[in-house]
Amino acid sequence: MSEKEADQHGESSAEVEYDPASSRYDLFECPDCDNVVLALGRDDPPMSCHDEPMERVTDIEMQVKPPDVKQVLLQAFGLPKAGLDICLCVISEGPLSASEVADSLGYDRSTITRYLNKLVELGLLQRSELNLEEGGVVNVYHSVDLERMRRETLIGFYVWAGEAAALIEDANLTKRDYLEENPDRELPDVFWESFSEE
Amino acid sequence: MPISRRVVLERLATETDADSRETMTVEALAAGLDTDERTVEAHLQRLADCELARIHASGRVRVTITGEEILELGADEVVIVDRPTTDTER
Repeated sequence: MSEKEADQHGESSAEVEYDPASSRYDLFECPDCDNVVLALGRDDPPMSCHDEPMERVTDIEMQVKPPDVKQVLLQAFGLPKAGLDICLCVISEGPLSASEVADSLGYDRSTITRYLNKLVELGLLQRSELNLEEGGVVNVYHSVDLERMRRETLIGFYVWAGEAAALIEDANLTKRDYLEENPDRELPDVFWESFSEE
Repeated sequence: MPISRRVVLERLATETDADSRETMTVEALAAGLDTDERTVEAHLQRLADCELARIHASGRVRVTITGEEILELGADEVVIVDRPTTDTER
C-alpha cells in the first residue's frame, strides 16, 4: 500500500491533540452543567453559564485525525471537487471565460456554470450581471469581500459542527436510555448502526 | 516579469473608451505596458472572448462597456465571465 493510500485509510496520518497552551482555538465548559463551547481567537471565556464565566477545558487527552480542508469543505458545505477546483485553483488569473475555466480544469462548460452558481449559494462567490454592448447581459462571478467570506465560511462550518455535535449527543442519550431501559442487556453488537436505523 | 490579463484590461480601459469607441493599437498598448506585442495580443484575444475587449478588423483595440463595468466591480480575485452559451458550446 502506498503512503497516499495508507493516508486515505487513516493508517499513517499523525493525530493531533488539543493543547490549551498552544492551540489556535479554545474549548470552554461550564463547571455546573454539560455546556461546552468552542472559541477561536480569544483568550477570555466568550460567555458565561449559570452566571459564572465558563472555564477552559484542560483535563482532556484526546487525539483526533487532523482535518483536511478539502474534506471539511466537502462535508460541511457539500462542495464537490469541481467546486473546490474552481474556488481554490482559479485565483488571480482572471478575467477568465467559463469555457476557458472548463478547458483548463477538464470539466464540461455546464459543470462550471452549475458549480459557479453553487459557490454563489454558499456565499463564496458573488454574481453580478454586466451589460453587453450588443444588448443583454452577461453573468460575472467574482470574489466576495474577504471579511464577509471569512465570516460566512466560519459560521457555515459552525452550523455544520453544531449539527454534528447534536447527532453525537443524540447517540449518547440514546445509548444511555437503552441501558436504563434494558439494564440486563448489553448494547447491540453494532450500536452505531442500530442508532442510524432509528 | 509576466504581465497579467487584468493589468492589460486596466491599461486598455485607461487608454480607450467604450462610449466614444476610442481605440488604440496593440503596439501602443504593449509599449505602454513595457512588454511584447505577442503577450498583449494573447491577453486581448482572451479578453475579447469574455466580451471585455473589442478587436477591430483594422487591428485596433478598445475596452467594451462590459470591460469597464467589470473593473468597476473592484474584485481582486476569481473573475469568471459566463456569457450565454451557443449551441456549439453545449
